[in-house]
Amino acid sequence: MSTKSVLIKTKKILLKQKAVLAILAMIVLMLFFDTQFFTVYNWLNIFRSVTVQGIIAMGVTMTVLCAACDLSVGGTMCLSGVIAVLMINFGVPIPIACLCALLSGALVGAVNGFLVVHQRTEPFIITLGMGTLLKGISQLLTDAHPIACTNMSFMQIANTKILGQIPILILYMLVIFLLFFWILRFTNYGRNCYAIGGNYEVAKYSGINTLAIKWSAFIISGAMAALAGILLSSRMNSASSVYGDNTGMLVNCGVVIGGTSFAGGVGGAAESFIGIFVLQLMTNCMDCLGIGSYVQELLQGIIIVLILGFDCYSRLKKREHA
Amino acid sequence: MEKTINVKKIVLQNLVLLGIIVLCIVTAIVEPLFLTQDNFTNILRQFGPLSFAALGMTYVIIGGFIDLSVVGTISLVGVVTLSLIDPIGQAGALFCGLLLGTFLGFLNGVILVKFGAMTQAEVLFITYGMSSIFGAIALIYTNSETEHMSRLSNPYTIFTFIGNGKIGPFTASIILFVIALIIIEWFYRKTLWGRQIALMGGNKTAATLCGYNMKKTLVLVYTICGLFAAMGSIVLISRVTTASPVAGAGYETDAIMSVVVGGTALAGGTGSGIRTVLGVLLIILLSNCMNMLGVSTYLQTIMKGLVLVIAIWLDNRKEQQIH
Amino acid sequence: MEQKKDLILKVSGVTKRFPGVLALNNVSLEIPKGVVYGIVGENGAGKSTLMKILSGVYEKDAGTIEFDGEIIEHTTPIQALRRGLSIIYQEFNLVNTMTVGENIFLGRFSENGGMKGTHQKARELLDSIGSKIDTYSLVGDLSASEMQMVEITKALSFHSKLIIMDEPSSSLTAEELKKLGDIIVQLRGQGISIIYISHKLDEIFEYCNIVTIMRDGCVIDTKSIEELTRSDMIAKMVGRTIENEYPPRAHFAGEPLLEVRNLNTSKLHNINFTLHKGEILGLVGLVGAGRTEIIRAIYGADKVKSKELIMEGKPVTVNTPRDAKALGMGLVPEDRKQQGLILRFSVGDNITMAALSRIAKRGILNRRKEREIAKRQIENLSIKTPGAATKVLNLSGGNQQKCIVGRWLELDPKILILDEPTRGIDVGAKYEIYVLMNKIVEQGGAIIMISSELPEVLSMSNRVLTICDGRITGEFSPEEVDASVIMDKAIG
Repeated sequence: MSTKSVLIKTKKILLKQKAVLAILAMIVLMLFFDTQFFTVYNWLNIFRSVTVQGIIAMGVTMTVLCAACDLSVGGTMCLSGVIAVLMINFGVPIPIACLCALLSGALVGAVNGFLVVHQRTEPFIITLGMGTLLKGISQLLTDAHPIACTNMSFMQIANTKILGQIPILILYMLVIFLLFFWILRFTNYGRNCYAIGGNYEVAKYSGINTLAIKWSAFIISGAMAALAGILLSSRMNSASSVYGDNTGMLVNCGVVIGGTSFAGGVGGAAESFIGIFVLQLMTNCMDCLGIGSYVQELLQGIIIVLILGFDCYSRLKKREHA
Repeated sequence: MEKTINVKKIVLQNLVLLGIIVLCIVTAIVEPLFLTQDNFTNILRQFGPLSFAALGMTYVIIGGFIDLSVVGTISLVGVVTLSLIDPIGQAGALFCGLLLGTFLGFLNGVILVKFGAMTQAEVLFITYGMSSIFGAIALIYTNSETEHMSRLSNPYTIFTFIGNGKIGPFTASIILFVIALIIIEWFYRKTLWGRQIALMGGNKTAATLCGYNMKKTLVLVYTICGLFAAMGSIVLISRVTTASPVAGAGYETDAIMSVVVGGTALAGGTGSGIRTVLGVLLIILLSNCMNMLGVSTYLQTIMKGLVLVIAIWLDNRKEQQIH
Repeated sequence: MEQKKDLILKVSGVTKRFPGVLALNNVSLEIPKGVVYGIVGENGAGKSTLMKILSGVYEKDAGTIEFDGEIIEHTTPIQALRRGLSIIYQEFNLVNTMTVGENIFLGRFSENGGMKGTHQKARELLDSIGSKIDTYSLVGDLSASEMQMVEITKALSFHSKLIIMDEPSSSLTAEELKKLGDIIVQLRGQGISIIYISHKLDEIFEYCNIVTIMRDGCVIDTKSIEELTRSDMIAKMVGRTIENEYPPRAHFAGEPLLEVRNLNTSKLHNINFTLHKGEILGLVGLVGAGRTEIIRAIYGADKVKSKELIMEGKPVTVNTPRDAKALGMGLVPEDRKQQGLILRFSVGDNITMAALSRIAKRGILNRRKEREIAKRQIENLSIKTPGAATKVLNLSGGNQQKCIVGRWLELDPKILILDEPTRGIDVGAKYEIYVLMNKIVEQGGAIIMISSELPEVLSMSNRVLTICDGRITGEFSPEEVDASVIMDKAIG
C-alpha cells in the first residue's frame, strides 16, 4: 500500500516535472552511444555553459513569478558587458567598472518596471522593444566591433579554476542559485512574489505592497542580466554588441520549460535552472553526437513549440473543465 | 474649453502624421538636399520588404495577436524561391515562394488553434519557436550559404524587375505594394471575413456568441501574414539579388514597430493597413533624415528602439483612457 | 452606554450609490458580541455591497460604521483584517498555487518565524477548530469545504472579533455543513460574532440568533429568530407591490417550438423542457444553480455530455453558436461588457454585429445596409445615443443592453435567450426592455429569460422553471402560484 502510494506520488512529481524527465531521457539515450558525454570534463563543460543563462534565468524567474516577464535581458547583458570593458579600458578600477555595469542593468530594470508595473503596459512587447533599444546603445558604444579588454586581470574573474579543474563560473552560479532559492523559498519577499503572481487581488488585499515588489523584481532581473554580462565579457575577455541576440527569448523559454508558468505564482529557482539546463544539455548531447548546428536549432525550435504549446493546451483543458 | 480638448484629441490621433510633417520640415531646413527628386526616389525605394511584412503583421495585431515567425518565413521563402528558379523557371519559383509563405502562415495558425493559445504572451513564444524552426530549415536547406542570382543559369527577369524596375517615376516594388495594399484593405474593410478579424480583436467571446468562427479567423490572419512575409521576402531577394538564410533577422521588431507607430492598437480591434503605411513611412523618413544629417547608424538603432518603446507606451495610455 | 459596549458592530445610515442604481439605502444594523447574525435577501438586495463596504473594498457614500467601539471612517481590506473583521467570500480569497500554511499567513511570513514557524502556527490554529488539513498541501488541491476551513483559520489568525460568511454553504455537502455548524457554535462560544449570509433558510434557522431581512438595498426587518417563521421570511424577502413596474403580461403561447431532451453536462443533470411559440419562459434559481449553463449548452457555447434538441418537430444539432444562430436563436449574454459588447467599437458596429453574415452578399459587406440597420434599431429601440458612430462605452448600461437586444432583433429570431437582461440598468430602461420582450413574443418569437430578480421573472414569464444544483426542480405558472412557493423550490 505504502510503496504503491509512493510510486504514485513519484509518478505525479515526474509528470509535473517534464523537464526532469527530459534530462533523464537524454542521459539514458546517451548510454547507447560511445561519445565523450560521460566524462568529467564534458559535465564541467555543460555546467560552465549553463552559468550565464542560468544567472539571467534567476532574475527572470522573479518577474515571471510575479506574472510578468522580461525579454530585454539579452540587451541588458550585452550592454553591461560593453560598459564594463569600456570603463576598464578607460582606466577605471575593475570593481568600480563592474559596479557601474551592474547599476546600468538595475537602471534598465527600473525603467522596465516603471513601464510595466507603474504604467501597466503589456510586459512582453515593451521589454522586447527595450531589448532592441539596448542593442542599439551597445552598437553605438562599440561601433559594432568586438572590443578586447586591455587589463588582463579582468579576465581572471571568470576564467580562474578552483579545486584543480572546476571553473569558478560554476561556483558563481551555485552561490547565486542558492541565494535565489533561499530568497524565493524562505523570505517574506520571495513568498510575496508567489502571492502576487498567484492571485494579485488577494495579495493586494492581504496588505502586500504589490507595486513595489513587482517593480523590484524587474530591477533584480536587470541586475542579474548585467552580472551575467560582466561574467560573459570576462570569460571572453571582450565585449561585443552581438552577444545576447537570442538570449532574452531563450532564457524566458527555458524558464517556462522548467515549469515556472507565465500565469504567475508557480515554479521557482530550481525549476528555472532545470529548464535552462535542459536546453544546454540538449545542445551538448547533439554536439557529442556530431549533429550539425542547424539541425540543433531546428530541434530546439520544435522542443520550444511543443513544450510551450502543451503548456497552453493544459490551460485550455483546465478552462474547459472549470 | 471644448475646442482645446478637440485639438488635443486630433493631435493625439494623428501623432504619426504630425511626426512625419515635423521631421520633413526640420530636415528640409537643415539639409536642403532632402527636397530633391533623387532623395524622393530614394525614400520610395526603401518601401521594400519591411512594408510588406508590416502590412501582414497589421492584420494579426488587429486580430489581437502577434507573429514573430516572420523572421523565419522571410528567410526560408527567400532561399527556397531563389533555388527554385533553376529547376522550375522564374514564374514557377515566384508562385511556389508565395505558396510556401502562405502555407507557413497557415501552419502557424493551425498550431495556435490546436494548442488553444489565447493570449498575446502564449502566441509570442510559440511563434518565436516556429520562427527558429523555419530559420533552421533555411540554414539546413542552403547549408548556411548565401545564394546568388548571378550564378543562376535560368533567366530571372521578373525578379530584376521587382527589384530594380521602374514605371514612370515609381519603382516596381512600390507599385506592387500599393496594389497589395488596396486589395488587402478592401478585403479587410469590405468583406465579412475582414470584419471578423476586427471583431476577433475587439472581443473574441462576443464575436463567437454572434455566430462567427474565431478559430478560422485566427488561421486566416496568420495565413495573410505568411503570404505578405513571403512577398516581402521576394522583394528582398530581388533587390539584393542574393538570398541569405538569415535574411529575415530583425524584421519582426521593425514590423511590429511600424504597426504600432502607425497607430494600430496592440490590444486589437482597431487599425488599418494605411496607418501601417504611415508608420513605415515615418521609420523610413527617420532613417533617411538621420542619414542626411549624418547621424551614425547605431544611433539610428537606438532611435528605433526608443520610438518602439514610446509608441507602445503611448498606445497603452490611449487604451487606458478608454477603460 | 452599557448596551453600546456589547455591540461589536454598529452600522447606521449607510448609503451606497452605483451609476444608475441605489445599492444601499440608509442601512442600519446593530450586531452584539458573540451572536450569529443572519442576513437574508434576494440576489441584488444589497447584502454583498454592504459586506464589501464593511471589509473596505468599497467606500460608503454616507453613514457611519462603528466597529468594536471605534468609529471607522476609512478602511482598507488589510486594516479591516487587522482590526479583527474578516470576511469569507463565496469565491474564496486564497492563492491556489500556495500552501495552506502560507495562505493563512499571507504577507505575514516573517512575522511568524519563516517557513517552519508559519506552518507550526497554522497547524495549531487548524487543530483548534479540529481540522486535519495538512498545512503543506496546496490550496488548489483542496475541496471547497477544506478551503473554507483555511479561510476560517485565516480569520482566526487575525484574532477576528467578527467573521462574515457570505453563502458559506453553497458548495458544501451535508456532512461538511454539519462540521461548519459545529465550528460556528464553537466560535460563538469564544465570543466571536458571525454574520451569516445565506439563501438557505434552514441554515439560518439552525444557526442564527438574530436575522435581518434586506430587499432593494433597504433593511426591511430585524427580528430575533424565535419571532420569525419561514413563510414570514420569504414573504418579506420577495413581498413588494409590483404594480406598474411591469407591462401587462403577453399571452400568445402556442405550439411547441423547441424541445430540449436529455441535456447533461458536468454541471447539469438530465434537463428536459419544452419552449412554446409566443412564450416567455423564465428560469429561476440561485446564482450558480446552473441557469446560465443550461442556456449556454443549448446555444452551443459550452461542451455537453449529451443533448437532443427538437425544433419545430425536427431534430437539430447545435454544436456551435454559429449553428444556433442559423436556426434562429439569439443570445444576450449575462456579462454585457465581457461577452456582449465590443466596448471600443461604435454603437452601429455593435448593433450590426450579428446581422453582418446576413447582409454580406458572397462575403461582401454593404456599408449602406449596415447604416440602415443601425439607424433602424436605434429608432426602433429608442437607444439614446448622439449617433451610430458614438463609441458604445459612452452609453448608459440600459442603452448598451438595448444595442445587444437590437443586434438580435434585426435577425427576427425565433428564440431569444436573455441572461440577466436588466442587470445594472435603471428602472426606466428596464421597463422599455420588458415592453420589447412582449413585442417579440407578440410577433411569434419565444423568449427564455434568466433573472436573479424574482419579481421580474414572475411578472414577465408565462411559465417558470426552477433550477437547483443543476436540476430542474419544478415548473410553475406564476399567475397561479404564489411567489414564495417558487422561491422555496428554487432554494431547494
